[in-house]
Amino acid sequence: MSRWRVGAWVSVAAVVVAAAVWGRAQSGADEGVVRYDRESRYYRIRVVDYPDRGRRCLFFSRSRGIQSSMVLADPSRLDLRYSQAMVAALAMGEAPKDVLLVGLGGASIPKFLQKEFPDLRLDIVELDPAVVQVCQDYFEFHGSPNVRVIVMDGRMYLKRVEKTYDVILLDAYAADHVPFHLTTLEFVNLVKSRLKPGGIVASNLWERSFNRFYLAELKTYQAAFPQVYLLPAGQSGNIIVFGTLSQTPVTRKDWVLRAEEMVRGKDFGFDVAGLIGKEYEYLTTREISEAALTDDMAPVNTLRREHPKYFEAETGPPGGAP
Amino acid sequence: MMRVAVLTAALVSGAALMSLEMAGFRLVQPEFGSDIIVWGSLISVFLGGLAVGALVGGRLADRRPALWKLGAIFVAGGAVALAIPLYADAVLDWMFPGEGAPLPSDWDQAATDDGGLVVYLPPDLRWPTLGAGLLLFLVPSVLLGMVTPYAAKLLIHTMPHLGRGVGNVSGVSTVGAILGTLGTAFYLVAWMGTRWLLVSNGLVLVGLGVLLGVLDVAVRSRGARE
Repeated sequence: MSRWRVGAWVSVAAVVVAAAVWGRAQSGADEGVVRYDRESRYYRIRVVDYPDRGRRCLFFSRSRGIQSSMVLADPSRLDLRYSQAMVAALAMGEAPKDVLLVGLGGASIPKFLQKEFPDLRLDIVELDPAVVQVCQDYFEFHGSPNVRVIVMDGRMYLKRVEKTYDVILLDAYAADHVPFHLTTLEFVNLVKSRLKPGGIVASNLWERSFNRFYLAELKTYQAAFPQVYLLPAGQSGNIIVFGTLSQTPVTRKDWVLRAEEMVRGKDFGFDVAGLIGKEYEYLTTREISEAALTDDMAPVNTLRREHPKYFEAETGPPGGAP
Repeated sequence: MMRVAVLTAALVSGAALMSLEMAGFRLVQPEFGSDIIVWGSLISVFLGGLAVGALVGGRLADRRPALWKLGAIFVAGGAVALAIPLYADAVLDWMFPGEGAPLPSDWDQAATDDGGLVVYLPPDLRWPTLGAGLLLFLVPSVLLGMVTPYAAKLLIHTMPHLGRGVGNVSGVSTVGAILGTLGTAFYLVAWMGTRWLLVSNGLVLVGLGVLLGVLDVAVRSRGARE
């Protein structure tokens, strides 16, 4: 075959491949109205409106996972069930005064807190300045006296800050996974060290499927905190893991009662006490046959590919489930 | 025999270099995050090391090249890799101090016009990451960068074709680099963790260096007998 002919075939092949890739990209596009689609330093950020459902959603990169969803008619409402489950952390102990959120997303939790708990001091750490801008321009996120945003890596912030918090909410996602340095025992212990006595951490975990990473991460929280709980957040596959500094277990009943008290006189737009009552799981005494993740040994990608060999039998705490 | 030894050395140096680089990313990410600045800094350090190594290695190769000297370069590179876990934490802390560092209120503050949202901008990470990269990985990458010209000189001494010799060494070392990158990223990080990865690279390099030295002695003594 002559050289030009090889060249011609290569060009044809390249065009075919390019067309196929382009076609796939087109067919994968959502049926919503794209309001914003730009590369930031970290992601491709997309804001898509779904007028039929009255929602505006935030997407990062190629992940199909919804980072955030806003009800256009009521921007302060918590629309995604995982975010509703995270807020349950506020009802675990004393009424919190200082809260830290790692990972801004579409600012749904900050807007909710600004509206329902205006006196609460909220610090937000977000890596990507473009996400902060998108939240202001498209998600109705505006300043208020008790809220500040710090543009920084979450771990770097926690290591440097000397302030302590009543509640720390971890929701930092690089598109569809938590960056490995925010999964390890060193990180979880760092979070723990920035909690006030009796403080609470709630961490959002989302995976495409139930895999060994889930278990390893739950084990990591078990290793760091005296008491650990779960609230699986329904269909989406999100699991919220809660760790408390307090040695005393919070029973399902305690938590539900405190949630009912927290909601009194407020209109959350969802039933947080009902969510806790339905989903509550006590994790402290659950046997997990995975090693905790460490900075040195965190094979997160390998663990994500593997399903657990078996599900551990659910063993309640001694003396029955609290 | 010489040919096999030299090409093996080129292969292993390429693999170890990239394996160290991947380990470097894992070592630095907990402190500095997974920012593109971190990737850029570390890659530049390794490329800079390769450049300096090539310059120095090329000059050394012109002064009485010997297989045992190539072995010595490997032993030195391996020793540095073995030492990295010992001082990594100190270097990272020094480049970006932890507790006691300025609070957000001392940083640049950009209050945006929209509703007065208070936004604190991040500290500049460029020079601390580059500094940490240089302190941790410049020396081993210089040493490993010396291998390619040195190996080429040893090979070409025995071959009439200059172009082919340089091409062989460079190609084999790049294949090694691919193996080191993929092997580390796909398997080794998950199997042994970051610190053991650095240590194993060190052990392989030291081991190969000693082997090259022994081989050199064996070849010489055989030459002396004949």
